[in-house]
Amino acid sequence: MMMMRRIISERATCVSKNFILRSSASRFHGESLDSSVSPVLIPGVHVFHCQDAVGIVAKLSDCIAAKGGNILGYDVFVPENNNVFYSRSEFIFDPVKWPREQMSEDFQAIAQRFGAMNSVVRVPSIDPKYKIALLLSKQDHCLVEMLHRWQDGKLPVDITCVISNHERASNTHVMRFLERHGIPYHYVATTKDNKREDEILDLVKDTDFLVLARYMQILSGKFLKGYGKDVINIHHGLLPSFKGGYPAKQAFDAGVKLIGATSHFVTEELDAGPIIEQMVESVSHRDNLRSFVQKSEDLEKKCLTKAIKSYCELRVLPYGANKTVVF
Amino acid sequence: MIRRVSTTSSLSATALGSFMKWSFKSSHFHGESLDSSVSPLLIPGVHVFHCPDVVGIVAKLSDCIAAKGGNILGYDVFVPENKNVFYSRSEFIFDPVKWPRSQMGEDFETIARKFNAMSSVVRVPSLDPKYKIALLLSKQDHCLVEMLHKWQDGKLPVDITCVISNHERAPNTHIMRFLQRHGISYHYLPTTDQNKIEEEILELVKDTDFIVLARYMQVVLSGNFLKGYGKDVINIHHGLLPSFKGRSPAKQAFDAGVKLIGATTHFVTEELDSGPIIEQMVERVSHRDNLRSFVQKSEDLEKKCLMKAIKSYCELRVLPYGTHKTVVF
Repeated sequence: MMMMRRIISERATCVSKNFILRSSASRFHGESLDSSVSPVLIPGVHVFHCQDAVGIVAKLSDCIAAKGGNILGYDVFVPENNNVFYSRSEFIFDPVKWPREQMSEDFQAIAQRFGAMNSVVRVPSIDPKYKIALLLSKQDHCLVEMLHRWQDGKLPVDITCVISNHERASNTHVMRFLERHGIPYHYVATTKDNKREDEILDLVKDTDFLVLARYMQILSGKFLKGYGKDVINIHHGLLPSFKGGYPAKQAFDAGVKLIGATSHFVTEELDAGPIIEQMVESVSHRDNLRSFVQKSEDLEKKCLTKAIKSYCELRVLPYGANKTVVF
Repeated sequence: MIRRVSTTSSLSATALGSFMKWSFKSSHFHGESLDSSVSPLLIPGVHVFHCPDVVGIVAKLSDCIAAKGGNILGYDVFVPENKNVFYSRSEFIFDPVKWPRSQMGEDFETIARKFNAMSSVVRVPSLDPKYKIALLLSKQDHCLVEMLHKWQDGKLPVDITCVISNHERAPNTHIMRFLQRHGISYHYLPTTDQNKIEEEILELVKDTDFIVLARYMQVVLSGNFLKGYGKDVINIHHGLLPSFKGRSPAKQAFDAGVKLIGATTHFVTEELDSGPIIEQMVERVSHRDNLRSFVQKSEDLEKKCLMKAIKSYCELRVLPYGTHKTVVF
């Protein structure tokens, strides 16, 4: 099942009006802001995934250099016996010398040449932020963590809406936060027979990806196909151990000495999609169920945040049938 | 699970014999002087206790130690919520002249009876005989090699009675020469007939205190064997249980695309890879790891995890908790 669904970023078209607003440079690598003396350089990221062949790095790096871009970081990964090629480059460039639309076209040409499965370029200061919807049920510690990080500017996304199958009173912390920031909250009650996936699809159709932050309903294959984009879930267990409900309790009953959390892409099969990130913590006989749960929740928040950050930075790519490359 | 209910009585006879040999030996424990004409020679002891919870256990245990001039240097007590059981582990130093080893055994035994203890074990490492263990393995011998080397370095405080394997080894291999040099017997028992094998193994290990399975593969010891042996069997599994039970856990992990791999040491029960867990360790893996490096990292973890578990076990840190968990002080 195709995992990363953004083939070629089509943001070039909607970029131009943002360009004027955002041409101010990030203070990237100590470049001066005096535009009359030196160019204003801004960062870009490009990921590439194609069949392996000789000359890919040469072509990609040449593309960047030809437009005056300076590569600051480059990750290449070609697995043994796999004949696929992955790269992720971080570079700085002068958007005057290399206009945003031209950049997309240039990378697109290389993508076509190599029959790329995936070629995505992203200029964080110009391109619109990723639009995401957050889904949750009753437990909201993950949502709260994400909202706070978003507020602190640490989660570089636009939160389109929050959807829950659990109703929340308007005077709760979450609801007041969302209201203050103009983020709509949609209470979509589900029953055993009706998961109301069509309604949810309608609410999220303009998002770039979805985050399930303790959404305890299973999304069907029909929904996933209909949505067509990536869905990231956090599971407070060390997959493949303890799939399903109450993984902290399962772990507690199993007498393990390490508990963990796993962020992964959602597939039709519960808690079985490609894993993005995992974290652990030690537990001992001194931990009761409460502390197992508490430690799991703390891990969940960190693990989900890290996975989303990696995803937004174009570090996560599909690898084989059910794995990921995470640069 | 931990099958040593009370070993104090069985130790006293042998302890007397060793006492004469060992009585002049003091550990350099907490800076005690070795001049026996001026101050007593204090040696360390460890006591673990497991009984139904009531008021007054710690008072009685600590009083028992203090009354004989023992000085408690470390004390761990654990009473789980809603469980009504009590666990303690005390480390103390004492003067074996003031508190003879056999008397110690009796004193703790009295308290054990008073509190209906499920487990009361006292151990004086410098007097009591080392634990006798047998090591079982198949073809992969990195775990065995690690244990033999640590044993040789004095880091594994056991007596290795014998090594049993269902894989034959030529006499000019590192292991065989090592074992021969140290007078440890190697028994090749091919896995043809499960029942017959188990009878032979039982015969070979009946005098051991516990058994270590260090990559003993494809043979699940039956309930009959475990009951017949009656003592603890420790296994190392190079996967993070309960994930990846059974064969080739490193390959299972590799195919599953996990970002963390691990190893688990646990007590052996009839069910494969399901007994109470003693210790677990992890390491990070990424897309850059191939199957080879998954296997290598797993093996490195295995060795550390097994060593730590055995060390904890020998130091009386591991106790049964509930049906399939452990307290590890």
